[in-house]
This record gives sequence, structure tokens and C-alpha cells, in this order.
Amino acid sequence: MSPYTRGNIKIAIAMLRANKGRSLLTMLGIIIGVVAVITVVGIGQGIKHQVSARINHVGQDLITVQPATAKASNSVLNALSPVRLSGGLAADDLHTVTTTPGVARAAALGVVPGTVKANGKTYTAGPVIATNPDLAVILNQNLQYGAFFAPNDVDSSVAVLGANVATTLFGQPAPLGQNFTFRGQTFVVNGIFNDFASAPLSSDADFNNTIFIPYSMAQLLTNNNASIYEILAKPTDSGKLASVRHDIDQRLYKLHGNSHDVVVLEQSQVADETNGVLNLLTELIAGAAAVSLLVGGIGIMNIMLVSVTERMHEVGIRKAVGATNRQILIAFLTEATVLSITGGIIGIVIAFIIDICLRIFTSLTPIVSWQVVLLAAGVSIAVGIIFGSVPALKAARKDPIVALRNE
Amino acid sequence: MPIIELRAVSKLYGFGDATTLALDEASLSIEPGEFVAVMGPSGCGKSTMMNIIGLLDRPSHGEFLLNGRKVARLSPNQAAKIRRDTIGFIFQSFNLLPRMTALENVALPLAYKNMSTTRRLKLASSMLDRVGMQPREYYLPSQLSGGQVQCVAIARALVNNPRLIVADEPTGNLDSTDSRLVMELLSEVHKMGNTIIFVTHNPELTRYATRVVYMHDGQIVQDEATALGQVAKTAKRAMYRIHAPTEEDDLAGVSALMKIHDDKPVKKSAKAKSKSHKPKRRSKR
Repeated sequence: MSPYTRGNIKIAIAMLRANKGRSLLTMLGIIIGVVAVITVVGIGQGIKHQVSARINHVGQDLITVQPATAKASNSVLNALSPVRLSGGLAADDLHTVTTTPGVARAAALGVVPGTVKANGKTYTAGPVIATNPDLAVILNQNLQYGAFFAPNDVDSSVAVLGANVATTLFGQPAPLGQNFTFRGQTFVVNGIFNDFASAPLSSDADFNNTIFIPYSMAQLLTNNNASIYEILAKPTDSGKLASVRHDIDQRLYKLHGNSHDVVVLEQSQVADETNGVLNLLTELIAGAAAVSLLVGGIGIMNIMLVSVTERMHEVGIRKAVGATNRQILIAFLTEATVLSITGGIIGIVIAFIIDICLRIFTSLTPIVSWQVVLLAAGVSIAVGIIFGSVPALKAARKDPIVALRNE
Repeated sequence: MPIIELRAVSKLYGFGDATTLALDEASLSIEPGEFVAVMGPSGCGKSTMMNIIGLLDRPSHGEFLLNGRKVARLSPNQAAKIRRDTIGFIFQSFNLLPRMTALENVALPLAYKNMSTTRRLKLASSMLDRVGMQPREYYLPSQLSGGQVQCVAIARALVNNPRLIVADEPTGNLDSTDSRLVMELLSEVHKMGNTIIFVTHNPELTRYATRVVYMHDGQIVQDEATALGQVAKTAKRAMYRIHAPTEEDDLAGVSALMKIHDDKPVKKSAKAKSKSHKPKRRSKR
């Protein structure tokens, strides 16, 4: 670095310190832009990571069957509605899936309406979901206490609770053997799940707040009217995943009278969809952040124009003692760049603080990659140079005599 | 070879009816080692000429040779480099950067030569020592007296070892003691072989000069070599012009007196007295 450049940077920092308030206001646009870009991209990356972690936990060979209506469009709003628990599948579908050759296990998920009461308290934090004994194995989810329904107690009134339900409803982590009533039937708590890996923005219900009851029990309580919103299945041989999926699709197609009102998806397809929505969202918000950076750049240009006008006399003096146009240009460009880089650094620091807060206070785990930080820093430097050039050129091209007359 | 050679240099300002002629085909040749005083009433084109000689401004017409090189049509950057390397500027209003210390101000021209900071400050410090300001090198301009500030400005003008020093009324904002101090300093610089051209309104200061140029309405009307230590004749005439009442002034006084005698009533005569304020003061002298 040449002594001249170093001197320029020193002067620029001194100017920034001399006008702290003004500099901060000038940098605000850059700060907000950088914070927004880093945070949004970080949250997006974090969610993607959580989704793929959950998929890996459950296994890549999981097949999902859902009613087509819920999948009708790829619109953001539809994808954003947190839980698609509307029914659409029936016991026949479950039976078809279970009996498809190559399917090892299958489990239905269906919401049963009704109120849960225990010790005079009503439980409203989550749904009651009817399912099969295979669910725990399919989801690769262990139980913290007790056991999941065995195949021989599908007709009895047993229930398994999500980890949060235990403490919310019974005030204790392991309420094994305790009772609650649901649709006039008394259920006994048989087991409590471990924490499910949370996956924000996913289309599933939050299983940590869910009460699971056997599907046949639900059929009994609803006069064989329990609806199913999703069927999960696993093939015997994960190498034949695609063909099994295809078979299920064909069989359901025939069952529904040759209409495609059911979607059968592999996990990778589910992930693709979530990622697609996330990418779209990230792009949208990053676009808004880019606008903020643009506005920040205009703010810098504005304040640099003021600074140039204020210091025109100084420019005249510097020219009189031998500064060339280029040297004046570089001095003001350096100042604009120092301003924008400082804004960028402040933005990065704030983004990291927000990241830590999100990790502590929410279930989100944003992942801030160094590429994004580098990009934000690069963009703020570019903004400084691009928007600083107009005022810097104005100062550099000023006639020395005219500049000296400015007091 | 003359260090400065102006050949029929004119400078016009403005356009159309508002055009003013600041320099009217002025020609001047200055040899190296001269100490030239430029005198003349306000608006006679002294400053314009100084700006052109100092390469801060360009002539509209005519040719200007600096060290034998034609410099009237240089690009801004070429002019800046010549200013940096061969010309030292001293201004009436000092023109130091207010946020910088005396030392940093003196080192400023060296920054544009891309010299290392330590060497720059060392050189600036020794230059401040030469003008007797080294004990105050860390003072800001606002903490120094006018004379001291101008000494710092002279150090800044000298720091690049320029052959030519251009001073536009260097003592214009100083009292007589500080003026003497500054002129002694310039005289010292002259003794070391620099060429100095300076503007002044004070005839006494032509004692320091070896040559006096008198300007009027954009032209050089008098050019006189003078002995060091002597007030130039041109300057004496300037002194005469400034101090003695002219015929016009006398006539104005007479007409005022006539009014007093014409008007008998006391009230009006009081009014007339206030009108004749200026001539009356002169008559007291």
C-alpha cells in the first residue's frame, strides 16, 4: 500500500469519526441491506439443512402418499400453510399401500377431531393423530419412556404422546399409565416420544405436540370415518424405491377410478419442493435487501456530495500545492469506500448477533456461510466505489481557482 | 533564460456584455534570482497574473513560458505536477488546512509525491525549523497567530524546494510586526537563490524587492529595478496617490462648502455639514 493511499485511509477514518452521527445515518442503508442479506440467506440455509437432516434421519427410502388437492399448486401461500392436515385418503388407500408388493411397512396419519381432557384440563396445543404401530419404525424415532403401540393393542385405548404433550397436559415428563379422555373414550398413556427433529416450514404437523392413537381405535370412534392426510411407506429393498413408488402410484390410480387425485413422492422429491419454496423466498427477500443496498449507496452519494461541497476550499488548497485530479479523486473515493465498508462491517456484526439470538430464542438454526459474508462485504465495497465516484469526480474536476474561492 | 516570460497575456472573464478584461496583453520577463514586487490598485489584475504565473489559471490569449517551456495550454494534471515540483504558493488568507497540525500542513505537498510518511514529516519538521516554527509544529493553525500561520505557509511553499515562490499579498492580513517577520523570511529565502514574485499594497515592503512592477487596468504600466533597502520610486508615487487629495477630491470639498454658504437656515446647514463629512476630515490633516 502506497503512503498516499494509507494517508487517504487515515484521513477518511478521521472524517468518519469527526461526523459520527452523520456517518452512521449515511451507513444505515448499507447496514440494513447487509443484515438482511446475511440473515435471510442464513435462515434459508439453516432450514434446508434441518430438512435434509430430518430426511437423513428418517431415511431416503421413505415414500409419501398425499391427496393431490393439497399439492395442486406450487404457490408460495399453499406451501407456507404450516400443516396440511385435511383428509382425502381413506382406509382403502392404506390397505392398498400396505398390500403393494415390495412395501415393508406403511403407516397412515390422520387427524381425529375432538377435545382431549385430563384432570379437568383441556389440551389444545396440538392435534390427535391416528396412526399404525409401524410409524415409530418408519420415522426411525425412539421412545423416551414406555413403548409404541404393539400390533396386538391396536384395538385398545392406548396413546403415545409427543415430548411436549407430556409436560403440557400432565405436568411431568413421564406420565405413563395416566389417563385422558377423548371423544368419550378413556385413553391410557403408553409411551412418550423423544424430541422430533424440528423442521420449520415443513408441511407436517409438529409431532412434539401431537397425541398418537391407534388408527383402528379412531375408526371405531368415528364410525369408520377417520380421514387420512398422509400415508408413509417403506420398501423392503431400498434399491427398489422407484419401482415400489411407481407400483403404489398405479394401484392407487386404479383404485380411485383412473384419476390422479393422489401424489406419491419420494423423500428427495419432498425435499426438492421445500427447497424450491425456500429458494424463491430467499431470492425475494434478498432482492428487497439489494434495494436497501442501492438506497444505501444513494445515501452515501448524497452525503459525499455534501462533503465535497463543504470541503471545496480544501480541494483548492490541495490542488494549489500540487494534487492532480486523480489524487483528489482517489482521496474522495477512499472516503466513500471507508464509509461503506464500515457500514458493511457493522452490518455483518449485527447479522451475527441476530443469528445468535435466533438460535437462542427460536427453533431456527441459521447457517451463515463465509461466502455470504464475503459477498456482503464485496457488495458494500462496490456500492462505495460506484456511488462515491460521482461526488469524487465532481471534486477532482473542479478548477483550482474556483475551488479556492469557496470559503 | 528568464524563469518567467509572459508574452502579451490576456485573461477574460465572463461572456457577452458581462465580459471583463482582467489582463490586457501584459508582457513580463523575470530572470532567475529576482525578487519582484507587484503593486497596483484593487482590480488591476495583479491576482489574475499571479494565478497564471502560478499555473492555477490559464491565460485566454498569449503565451507563458516557465523555464523556457510553454505552459499556457497544459492539461490540469501536467499543471498540477509543475505546481508541485517548481512553484511554491503563499496566499493572503494563508490557506492552511484547519484540521491538520502545522507539521502535517507543511508535509502536504510531499504527500502528492508519494513520499513515505516518516520522510515527509522529517522534511517538514526541518523546514519548520528553518522558519522558526519547529517548537509549534503540533499546533493547529487556529492556535497560532497570523504571522506564525503565514510562516507555516511559507514553510509549506518551500518544502518541495521550488525554484519559484509566488506570493499573493502575503502580508495583506498581517499587522506591521508580522509583516516584517514574513518579509524577512522571504528575503532570506531569496538570498538562497529562489526567485520570488509577490503582490503588496504597502510601499514600505518594496525595500525588500529588487524590482517593482506597477499595474493598472490589466496592464503593466511601470517596471523599475530598485536597490535593496530602498523604497521604489513607483511605490512612492503609489504612496502619493493614496495619501494626497486629488483635484477631484478638492472640487468635491469646494462644492460642499458652497452649499454651506448658500443655505442660511440652521437646520439645513446642519444637514449639509453631515454631507461634507469627508472633505472636512481631510481639511483637519
